[in-house]
Order: sequence, then C-alpha cells, then structure tokens
Amino acid sequence: MNASIANPEQTSTLFPEVLKDSNPGRPANLSRRRFLRDSSLAGTATLLSPFPTARAWSQVGQAAPLLLGHSSAPDISIEIGEIEWELSPRKRIRTTAYNGQIPGKLLRLTEGKPVTIEIENKLDRPDIVHWHGQWIPPDVDGAMEEGTPMIAARGRTQVTFTPKPSGLHWYHTHVTAHRDLKKALYSGQFGILLVEPRSNPAPYDLEQFLVLHDWEPYFVTSDDGSQMVNYDISSINGRMLGHDNPIQVRQGQRVLFQILNASATEVHWLALPGHQFQVLALDGRPVPTQAKVDVLRLGPAERITAIVTMNSPGIRILGETRSRFRDAGMGTIIEYANASGKPQAPPQVQLSWDYRVFGEANITTHKPDVSIPLIFTSRFQGHGALDRWMINGKSFPDTDTVMLKEGLRHRLVFDNRSTDDHPVHLHRHAFELVSIRGASTSGIFKDVVIVEAKSRVEVDLVADNPGATLFHCHQQDHMDSGFMALFRYA
Amino acid sequence: MKSFRFPLAAFVAVIIIPFAHAQGNYEIQVYGADTVPPRSTMVELHSNYTADGQKYFIDGVAPTNHAEHETIEITQGINNWSEVGFYIFTSEQSGTGVQWVGDHIRPRVRVPERWRWPVGVSLSTEVGYQRAFFSNDTWTWEIRPIVDKTVGRWYFAVNPALERTWHGPDVNLGIGFSPAAKISYDFTKQISGGLEYYADYGSITNIASLHDQQQQFFPAVDLNVSPKWEINFGVGIGPTAATDHWIVKGIIGRRFDWGRPKNQ
Repeated sequence: MNASIANPEQTSTLFPEVLKDSNPGRPANLSRRRFLRDSSLAGTATLLSPFPTARAWSQVGQAAPLLLGHSSAPDISIEIGEIEWELSPRKRIRTTAYNGQIPGKLLRLTEGKPVTIEIENKLDRPDIVHWHGQWIPPDVDGAMEEGTPMIAARGRTQVTFTPKPSGLHWYHTHVTAHRDLKKALYSGQFGILLVEPRSNPAPYDLEQFLVLHDWEPYFVTSDDGSQMVNYDISSINGRMLGHDNPIQVRQGQRVLFQILNASATEVHWLALPGHQFQVLALDGRPVPTQAKVDVLRLGPAERITAIVTMNSPGIRILGETRSRFRDAGMGTIIEYANASGKPQAPPQVQLSWDYRVFGEANITTHKPDVSIPLIFTSRFQGHGALDRWMINGKSFPDTDTVMLKEGLRHRLVFDNRSTDDHPVHLHRHAFELVSIRGASTSGIFKDVVIVEAKSRVEVDLVADNPGATLFHCHQQDHMDSGFMALFRYA
Repeated sequence: MKSFRFPLAAFVAVIIIPFAHAQGNYEIQVYGADTVPPRSTMVELHSNYTADGQKYFIDGVAPTNHAEHETIEITQGINNWSEVGFYIFTSEQSGTGVQWVGDHIRPRVRVPERWRWPVGVSLSTEVGYQRAFFSNDTWTWEIRPIVDKTVGRWYFAVNPALERTWHGPDVNLGIGFSPAAKISYDFTKQISGGLEYYADYGSITNIASLHDQQQQFFPAVDLNVSPKWEINFGVGIGPTAATDHWIVKGIIGRRFDWGRPKNQ
C-alpha cells in the first residue's frame, strides 16, 4: 500500500514557495473534485493508503479512545504490540509496531494546538515513544535519559504536548537494542508525525509519504574490522519494491514527497529516473534555497520534503540508486497514466550530497557566544564486537554533560575522527548548519546532520528550550554503544 | 593448513622409510569461513621456507630442507556465498633452481551470513596436479569443512580436512585426515596473534602413531592494516619425526575490487 494522499483540501500544503516553479502548462491549484476525476487511480491509492487522509484522520482522532483510569480523553491512541507483517507475498516478518501497521499511522497534528496521546504498551518489556523533531518538554519528549518515564510492560500512559515546530517529523521507540536486533529501531516501531501550520496554504496535486526501512538485520564484520549491522530486506512504506500499489500520476502533476529514513543504521540514496527533486524542507524546516537535485541522501532519522513535477511519462522506480538495496526491496513504482512497459530503475550514479546547496545564497555569519567541541572517536573492542563510541573521550553514561546557557548562541563543533559517518541528532531543538568540512553555509535548520568520517561540521544552537536534552548518533548500534551525551541548561 | 602436503605419500614414506619426512608446505593457512566478495579478486603470495626439513630424496621426491616454496593464490568472489581459488605452486632449492610444482583449483561455498548461524561455516574442495618430482601422488583431492567463530577479541577456526589421492601410490590408502585449527586474540585493531595447528593423522581408518603423524604448531601474527590487505607471518615447529621441524611462513594478499563505484 502506498501512503498516497490526494491533497485533501486542495489548498493545504506547507510550502507556498513551490509556486515559484509551477508548471505553466497545468494549473497549480487543482480542485479535489477535478483531481479525483482526472486521476481515479490516485483516488484508489488514497483509499488503499495505510495513512488516513486528513479528513479520515480527524475521524480517527474523534474515535472513542481506549482509556482505563484516565481522566481526560486522548486525541490519539497508540498501541505498541507484536505483529506479523507482509513485506511481500513471499516475505512475512514478525516484529513490533504501532497500531498493527508499518509504518504506524500518520499523525497529522496542528502546530500550537495541544494534543493528548495515549500509549498502550502490550509488550512484555518497558518501552518509550520519542516525538522526534518536536520542541517539547523533556518529561514528554520520549527519552528516559532526559527524564521521560518509561511505559511499563503491559502498561499505558498519556502524554500531552503542544506540537511545534510544523513540518515533517516522526515518532519512534527510543529503547536500546545492543545485540538484540529485534528491538528498538530494528523493529517496526516508527511512524510519521506531520505538524501542519495553522495557516500557510499552498498547492500541490498529490502528497506522498515515503518511509524507508531495513529489515532482517544481522551482524557482519565490516571492512574496517569491526562488527556492523547488515540487512537482507528493505522497504518503502512497509512493502518491498514491486509489492505495493504503484503511485499513479499524470503528466504535469506536482507531487509532494514527504520522505523519512526510519532505518536503524543505513543511509539511503533515492532517485527517480528522468525527474528532479525540488527540495523544500530538511527535517521539516523549510530551506532558504529550494534547489533541484537528481538524488536525495537521507541518513537515519533525516527527513526531506521535496516536490517533483511529473514531466517524464513512463513507469519508473523511485528507489535506491544502489542496486543491492533496490534488489532488497527499497523502491516504489511511479506509474504515469496510460503508460506501459517495464519499470525503469534509477541509474547507478556517483553518490554525492552537499547540504549547502540548500543554504542561503548570501551567507549570514553569526558570532557564537560559546564554542563547544565534540570529538567523536571509537574504541576497538575486537573483531567480534561492536566498537565503543565516545564523545570527547567518554562513552555514555560517563560522557561529560554539556552545559547550555539560555538565550546564548552555542557553536557545536562536531569533529568526527572516526572512519564511520554519524547522523547526529539533538532532541528538543533545531540547530543551524554553519560549516561543513570548512565550507560555510547558513539558513539550514535541522535536528539531524550527517557528520562524515574524518570531517568536521559546525552548527549553531540557540538555547531556547530549557531542560535536559539528549544528543546522540541516530545509528542504533552507535547509540547503544555509548554515542550519547546529555545537554543541560545552566 | 590448506595445502597439498601429500600426507599419504608422507605416511607411506614414514612407514616404509623410517627417516623419511613429509613433503610439501606450499600453502600453510587455516581457513576462515569468509569468502571473497563478488566483484573482487584476492591475490595472495604464500612464502614458506623450510629451515629444518627432509634432507634426502625419497623415492625420487625432492627433499624440503632449505626449500623456498612460493605459491600464488588467486581467488575470485562469485557471489556472497561462493568463490573459486586457483593456485600456482613453485619451489626453489639449491641444485634444482626454480621449479613449477603444480596447480590446484578450489571452489568454496559458505553459509551466508544472512542465515544467522551462530558460527561461520563453509566447505571447500580442492583438486590438483603436482609433478612427481615433488610428490609421488600426482593427482589429489581434498574436502575441507571450515567452522569459525569470533567472540569479542577472540577468534577460533577449525578445518577438519579429508584428503584423497586419485593418482599415485596412495590411491589404495583411502581417505586421510588432516585437521587444522587456529586460535587468536586481537591485541589491537591492527594486530592479532595466536597459534595455528596443522596435522596429518594418516588414513582415517588406520590412524598413524604419534611418531608417524605430522604435527605442526605455528605461533602466528595477523596484521589487519587495511581491509584490502592480508598479512600473516608465523614460525612453525614440527615436533614429530614425520614433520619438517622448522618452517617460516608468510602470506601477503591484496584484494582488488572492480566493477563497482568506489562509494557504492
């Protein structure tokens, strides 16, 4: 099933700037009726979607909640449980997931409008749900290291927060896995959290959510001699390539792709042959320059919002540029109306990515109030073990606490001296990219950034959300092996 | 030891000629379960010098004492669970000069890692020819199960190999048992050290006495300086009469990846 959502109210998108590049041959602002008339298959895809439309979701939100012993009715209920899931007719897996589906149901919230979510944990072990990308208090953020309570085995809890900021975010488990590759982000415990602004409408014809994930993990000895996690199966929206309904499009349509890499450890590169992605937002935050690119790179936990004008008819695979991942299932079919033939796969391309192309054309420089070096290194534990990861020479929980002062601009200097790339994530805040490998940029705000091996990335963090804040590598095996630190406000 | 050491010939020699020693020592290596990745070629040079070995011609077969054996091994990865190896054996010795000894071919399959077995398992089979000047048994066959396991800094491997002569005096002797094993410890990411063990017990239906068995122990070092390089060095001690007493061995290998972009 594709997470295809025909623009429910025809004017509801997040990015008015996309109008800058609208296709002159086609009205940018289709009516819902006309869209459905013109694209009945897209409508079918919508009906088959595991994600409810905004309207359907609003009905879900009003459904009678499962509440025992709680005084307030939740807006949303999430159930954590074991499921058997069909990635393809020949590949079924047992895993844990939210509300019996992969990915978990789309949570479409409104910025600034408080929401109460009830979480029922049907597992025999404690769990916790992290609201990734949200600037919310530490007691509900969903990290036990910050002080959020775990949800007891077979227990339930309620959290209430006010969604902020708007954009494409996600929710996922925040437990550790260590060598148990059935737990944490190796499982199906993830879903999209889309926070819409109260206003700011803009047009698109079709909104498409793509959630990338890798399955059936196992340890292998990597080329550099330490153990790493490898996978047999990959999927988009819980389906392997060729086993999902094609995304039906028409020439001239503008498709808004909301893409999340929910893989526990893998970076993914996506392309759609004959098309370019106009990137509107990174990690839910609009970018100053909506550059067009042929290939998207998403590290674990990164999100990209991009629009594609459908101007190259045919049947294409939107998928991994690397054939080994595509063969494992990382792809989905884009099918133009009346097109036939064999799907065209993305060509093998040189993999390169530079965040800076999305930055401000005229770079704004800020003088930081404080500079905080964070040096990433690893300690070899044997060819049959995972490396131990360190920040400034120490592994969590022994890492030094980073002290922030409210209102000050802190320059975090990520100095990756290891031979691995690290998608580092800061909870409850966004940071602005300042430099990458010494090259300056500005205007790009993210909550995850890949710090490539043997490189340095500088970001600015304006401390504006007091409370304990977790910083960690979002690669599950790195996080589990000590790559975490706690930031606190002085 | 993944080698053709002509154990059955040696066994016969030991029985018939009490002062005879085993021949060979062309490739001295305990196999791990890994195979060479697809689109990759591994080229290895095995250099083995017998400092104290068989000093006499036995039944027309050249002695090993002070022989320098150079073996080129080329292994091509087929897919992520199989490979094929090819060997060129040479010998250099005073009085005979540089000599081509023979060639072997060695297909190997492994249990893919995705099967998630608790140990690495692979199976190799090796067929080859060697000149009668270096072995009375000119056509031999070997099947070698390989089991290994890495636990933290420790590495364990066993190769309980079975050997059979197809052409030569040992044809009627049946199947020989030639196990090898290795244990090593990662002192650092780059340096591992341990002990390798090689033996030839003779026919599985008629195990030789200890005196007549080949037994070799190699304290050995592996240098993991790069994923593309394999470096191994060891000194072997053969305590039994049927074994070359001192052998110095070295392996240097380079993996060549081709047909895929560097960053794929």
